[in-house]
Amino acid sequence: MRKVLAIITLVIILLIPTFLFDGIMPSIGDPNSAPNTHVSDYYIENSVEMTNSPNMVTGILADFRGFDTMFETTVMFLAGLGAVLILSNRPNIKKRFIIPRNYIKQRPNIGAPRYKTINKDVMITLFEPLMMIYAAYVYFHGEISLGGGFQAGAVLGLAYIIDVMIVPGRRKKLFALDKGNALSIGGIGTFIYALTGILTMTGGGLCLEYDKLPFGLSHAESHSAGILMIELGVTICVMATIITILNAIMGRVRFDDDPIKRREDA
Amino acid sequence: MMRNLPALIIIFPLVSALLSVFLSKISLYLGRNLVITSIFISLALSIVQLREVIINGPISYKFGNYAVPYGIEFKIDTINAIMLVMICIIGLLTGLFSTNFEENSKDRIKIGGSHALIALLCVGMLGMTSTGDVFNLYVFLEVTSLSGYVLIALGGSKGVVSAFRYLLIGTVAATFYLLGVAMLYSVTGTLNMQDMHDILSSRANDDTMLIAMCMFIAAFGIKMALFPFHGWQPSAYTHAQTGARPLIAGVMGKIPAYAMFRYLYCVYGTEFKYFRYFLIVIGALSVMGMIYGSVRAMAQTDIRKMLAYSSVAQISYITLGFAIGTPIAIAGSFLHMFGHAFMKGGLFFASGSIRYKYGIVDMNDFGYIYKKMPLTSALLSISALSMIGIPPTVGFFSKWYLALGAAGEREYIYIAILVISSLLNAIYFFKMIEKIFMAKDRDLKPIGRDSVMELPWTMMIPIVISILMILGLGLFNVKIINILLMSLGGIGI
Amino acid sequence: MTSLETFLAAKGIYFLTFLLLFLGLYGMITCGNYMKKLICMNIMQVAVIFIFLCLAQKDGGTIPVLFSNLRNAEDYINPLPHALMLTAIVVSMGTTGVGLALLTRIKEKYGSIEEDEIIERENK
Repeated sequence: MRKVLAIITLVIILLIPTFLFDGIMPSIGDPNSAPNTHVSDYYIENSVEMTNSPNMVTGILADFRGFDTMFETTVMFLAGLGAVLILSNRPNIKKRFIIPRNYIKQRPNIGAPRYKTINKDVMITLFEPLMMIYAAYVYFHGEISLGGGFQAGAVLGLAYIIDVMIVPGRRKKLFALDKGNALSIGGIGTFIYALTGILTMTGGGLCLEYDKLPFGLSHAESHSAGILMIELGVTICVMATIITILNAIMGRVRFDDDPIKRREDA
Repeated sequence: MMRNLPALIIIFPLVSALLSVFLSKISLYLGRNLVITSIFISLALSIVQLREVIINGPISYKFGNYAVPYGIEFKIDTINAIMLVMICIIGLLTGLFSTNFEENSKDRIKIGGSHALIALLCVGMLGMTSTGDVFNLYVFLEVTSLSGYVLIALGGSKGVVSAFRYLLIGTVAATFYLLGVAMLYSVTGTLNMQDMHDILSSRANDDTMLIAMCMFIAAFGIKMALFPFHGWQPSAYTHAQTGARPLIAGVMGKIPAYAMFRYLYCVYGTEFKYFRYFLIVIGALSVMGMIYGSVRAMAQTDIRKMLAYSSVAQISYITLGFAIGTPIAIAGSFLHMFGHAFMKGGLFFASGSIRYKYGIVDMNDFGYIYKKMPLTSALLSISALSMIGIPPTVGFFSKWYLALGAAGEREYIYIAILVISSLLNAIYFFKMIEKIFMAKDRDLKPIGRDSVMELPWTMMIPIVISILMILGLGLFNVKIINILLMSLGGIGI
Repeated sequence: MTSLETFLAAKGIYFLTFLLLFLGLYGMITCGNYMKKLICMNIMQVAVIFIFLCLAQKDGGTIPVLFSNLRNAEDYINPLPHALMLTAIVVSMGTTGVGLALLTRIKEKYGSIEEDEIIERENK
């Protein structure tokens, strides 16, 4: 069965060039093709004025098609929630097909990786603050305009991951989030995005119509404020989701490949 | 407030789902209750919206107040307004029903999270139904699928494997859909459905449209479990989380069917050169699916698996209506969509209740259950009769309109298949009814604590409402068909 | 230029992306290992993203960020597919994340991620 399907797939692959000769897709780089003329021209000519964002991609992503991005952020939250919920159940150890080895009980920081070659002082004192500043820069100044919430969130999440790599184990410090808290923060981040939509509606406009934000700003300012607000939500959500997935998996991993006699942790 | 109805219907469950985990940390059941309340508010708003649409005609809601092809548009006509009501009702009932399956658990994340997933599943389906933008539909499709995967995976170890298989094949479907969108975008340069229709009908792009339509049929076929693409469905429905199963089995398959209808009739339109051939292909797939699903369902003893295979047959009735293509047949297939949501939802409510009380899923153990759980057995029998198509229930009328449409187009083979499939349905559903009323008493012992009532009230409400809806949709079928025909005339079939 | 060269210049990129797409599909059908299936799924998604980005290309256009001396629509490439694909990338990331979490559970329960072994153990 599988081989038959494989042969069918190969035949399809060989057929594609014949489809292309008939002009199914437009030639690459053709300035007069349909995708490059109809809606695209309007965006290029008007988006900078209408959204006050010199970067047209940001203008489209956060303003013209901001509703898509709201659910894109929801998908991020959903991925974190899904990972936590799926990994919160553990199959009964007697019903498993391969019984895991006996692990050394009382091993603290189980599953936490340990990287002794990383210079702790340099990373914590130098790199992490720099990464956070860079994240703030990306958030406020993406590509010469506001935006870049996803990248900023990812960089912030990475700072946390580096922190965990260097100092493993449970910490009761400011920046220690367990998976439940991280998930809540992710939800709140996406909620900030939805809140922007609700605020525009309370201001008498349609959903995500930034002109109607009830802050009493001018046209350009209100669009910038709106984009800044939703990108804040995106940043928080992405950062929290990365931390959530990391925590969900770290609470789970028992390195099967670990040598049993690793006593220095005990 | 009234202006923003289409957006508010989606925003309420979304906000509740986002805050659910956080609120569960404050108080154990706060997040869960917020989710149920918000879906209830959405239900009320969607009923208001339905009334609005019937009186004032279709609503076009533009996000960000940008002109139509540039921003995202929601387009509500009478068909999807009724569908929104249907999704909200089943979502609300499922939210209530699934509260019973986590009483022993004190895990805050799990209680808040699993209800957040139900709300997000509703959000995804509400969005897919109301959107008028092809890429926005993809995003909602992914929200729906992801929450579906997780809800299926929460059903235990077998659920995890079937969820993973569904994830693989569902992502292939989403990728095919995106590829189809890319092809249509390459010839039109727009993403709005109405605008796309206008451009497509003014230029000749039949080859591209042909390939794109193949992609769409494959994509939505996988998502709705149409016959040759149904491989993932039986095990996924069988092993899904018991509380959420009515929503997954009852509604999740129908929304892609509606999306396919939108593509067939709203984006492509009857003037498309190969339109007739596509109708024949869909008709052939439906006919095969009706026979195959019924035959496979006859062989099952696990009630969940039997119902899952029956879904393969029932979704084919809906696509059969699209394949016939006359307004009355399409209205019939939408009536079947609403009716089947309550029938299948009801059957899963009932089977879930039996499992909740006695912990059984095998039909051979159902002996004398009508004495112990009279209302549940009533729902099982009424839904089964409706599935077969006995007059006062909705199942009869939807099949009647389908047959009427087929007779109008002189497609007598479709009528023959409808009759054969109904007879096959009768065989396996009467087997179930026989097990309920005739089989030997098994002396079942209730698991969990005993109570005076048959079931807790959160399970009684879904059961009672399902019974009422199956009978009510049947009795008021003319009214619903008239509402549906109002919009079908506007599409230009 | 010969006709083949014209074809390759205009449409060759689509051939490569479609090859990538069907390579992913082929892998998903033939591989027995769930992890490999997941990787092939990602390859498919990336292929579709490439197809969209090909549609955005415009000869003589620069990146869609405002330059004060360029005002015409012909001077910038099409920004819309880029915005769409940012969304699609995030969605595919979410799908992969959930898929990996599911794989962790499967490995724990069945002790393997090979399809035939899982089917064999599932029916026990």
